[in-house]
Amino acid sequence: MATERYSFSLTTFSPSGKLVQIEYALAAVAAGAPSVGLKAVNGVVIATENKQKTILYEEHMIHKIEPITEHIGMVYSGMGPDYRLLVKRARKMAQQYYLVYQQEIPTAQLVQKVAMLMQEYTQSGGVRPFGVSLLICGWDKGKPYLFQCDPSGAYFAWKATAMGKNHINGKTFLEKRYSNDLELDDAVHTAILTLKEGFEGQMTEDTIEVGICDASGFRRLDPATVKDHLANIP
Amino acid sequence: MASVMLPVEPTPGFSFENCRRNEFLKAKGYKAPVATKTGTTIVGCVFADGVILGADTRATAGSIVADKECAKIHYMAKNMYCCGAGTAADTEATTALISSQLELHRLNTGRVVPVVTAATMLKQMLFRYQGHIGAALILGGVDSNGSHLYTIAPQGSTSKNPFTSMGSGSLAAMSILEKCWKPNMTEEEAKKVIRDAIAAGIFNDLGSGSNVDLCVIRKGSVEYVKPYEKANVKGTRTGNYKFKRGTTEVLSKKVVPIIIEEEIVKPISSDSQMDTS
Amino acid sequence: MSILSYNGGAVVAMKGKNCVAIASDKKFGIQLQLISKEFPKIFEMGPHLYVGLPGLATDTQTVHARLKFRQNLFELKEGTRMSPKVFSSMVSNMLYEKRFGPYFVEPIVVGLEPDTYEPFICNMDLIGNVCFPEDFVVGGTCEDQLFGTCETMWEPDLSPDDLFETISQALMSAFNRDAGSGWGAVVYIIEKDKVTTRHLKTRMD
Repeated sequence: MATERYSFSLTTFSPSGKLVQIEYALAAVAAGAPSVGLKAVNGVVIATENKQKTILYEEHMIHKIEPITEHIGMVYSGMGPDYRLLVKRARKMAQQYYLVYQQEIPTAQLVQKVAMLMQEYTQSGGVRPFGVSLLICGWDKGKPYLFQCDPSGAYFAWKATAMGKNHINGKTFLEKRYSNDLELDDAVHTAILTLKEGFEGQMTEDTIEVGICDASGFRRLDPATVKDHLANIP
Repeated sequence: MASVMLPVEPTPGFSFENCRRNEFLKAKGYKAPVATKTGTTIVGCVFADGVILGADTRATAGSIVADKECAKIHYMAKNMYCCGAGTAADTEATTALISSQLELHRLNTGRVVPVVTAATMLKQMLFRYQGHIGAALILGGVDSNGSHLYTIAPQGSTSKNPFTSMGSGSLAAMSILEKCWKPNMTEEEAKKVIRDAIAAGIFNDLGSGSNVDLCVIRKGSVEYVKPYEKANVKGTRTGNYKFKRGTTEVLSKKVVPIIIEEEIVKPISSDSQMDTS
Repeated sequence: MSILSYNGGAVVAMKGKNCVAIASDKKFGIQLQLISKEFPKIFEMGPHLYVGLPGLATDTQTVHARLKFRQNLFELKEGTRMSPKVFSSMVSNMLYEKRFGPYFVEPIVVGLEPDTYEPFICNMDLIGNVCFPEDFVVGGTCEDQLFGTCETMWEPDLSPDDLFETISQALMSAFNRDAGSGWGAVVYIIEKDKVTTRHLKTRMD
């Protein structure tokens, strides 16, 4: 077939053994809006910057933090359109798992499946790697979970992490602030403080999004609650 | 693409790999066994503040009662439930599949899914299979447009009714509904009508039996009562049929102990320290 | 003749107090001819998980192999044992996949739930409709007789030893009136700390 001629994988090794396409994808992530995730003893929090360039933008209509199941949520740094595809696929994977086993998918299993999907896009013909890194948070069997999925298909389990623009500063900040016995409310506080590092302009409930996951499931905090949290921050 | 590199999960959809063998066996004169049928009475009606669904709890395989307490009112979404009659596995699988699609739809649209959407998804699926999926359904729910009740036949035809019945006991149940149903009934009145309709099925239709299950769906709340009424309680046994230990002659006995190599008990403190300030 | 009775065989399972039992005959025949008296129909799928697959013998073996395959993949992937509940969902799903060309088996799953050691029993029809009764489940050629014996003999909260007598007598009484099953029987009593397997002395005709 004529189309096959151009359908080889674009992700090809360079002579030095690098997959530059993946490095470019990671560069797209590193240039994206920052997001952070933090585990507490009684839950997980994920947060991201959702700043728009113009005042004409309608806030709180399109969200960056999305629920995947009752007890799993997701956020990203990088390219929005790629993210939406992953959200859709992740939701479908979770539902398929539920239909077979009549049990909610464990967060680690979902992460593995999503990571496998992302890996496929580094080795398949006619496609490019995803330009996003994901933070997936969940709560199963009384324990919080936080994972990061990269465009390469690599995934990591974190206590706390930062991605996107300024992620190095964010991680350094978290290393200083993180402790193992954090309560969820303190974790939200720390997550917001981490975003505040290097935040340009005024941080308001319109420019960040926060999602939390605990025993009662995953939910995105409404602007009023975010505002309350911001009020506690000097 | 996913199926090539992610083969761990079975591929979705039906598999027909045994069909040819089964046809061959059938041609040789070996009848295919019967699947469990619900052999059911299911009903639903609209009342002033919502919808009530009702069902009996008998499942039959031929003339044998396969299950005395099966659940025929299936969860679809938080605002929607669905009664199933016909081939038991079909009603179970169809409602589970559509429920899953409704959840995806809810997540993707970010709003409560209307009942008509579920009815359409169900009818399109059943029509696609031309009646071979033997599920006769009564779908009830409440959404932003009010209370809705749909009847969905196995071939995929639907109707929207104020009250309806399905299954082998539908005629008995319908006689009660036709006589007693009124518009704008209170919840108590409606519960009574549904109970009577199911009871009519239980006592007059051989395919229906055991208990009455009810599900009341109002705006913002659902009450699933299982069982609402035990129409047939098994009598207490007066004799004792316990065998003396050692009655059964044993040829050989093997005990395999299950050795627990490691036991980790993690206490979860219940005192929530969450600061609510 | 139904294809389910081509090879013959019966399986029954019961709930007891903190224990479950599953029992089957050992016959493998072809119509009226006896072929083997050592044909397993119950399979160990975990320390506290057993599945009985009465029906067409070829499908008993195929379904067992396929279930083991899927279960192994699951357990390796998730690093946990499959609970009876999850296992039975998987069985049901696998059978319904073949809705229009089914395997001729009517599986029975028994076990103890992990952590709580709650007794679990269920059975399915050949296309995967699951029942979770509170007392007992039956399957195979003498299903009708088994319903009768179990309905009279079973009572709640039987201890492991009493449960053994009850299930054995229920099974033997049933298959003694069925030409399609019998020729020896095996009983598994599953408890939190041990599984007891007993082979019974039965009529051999």
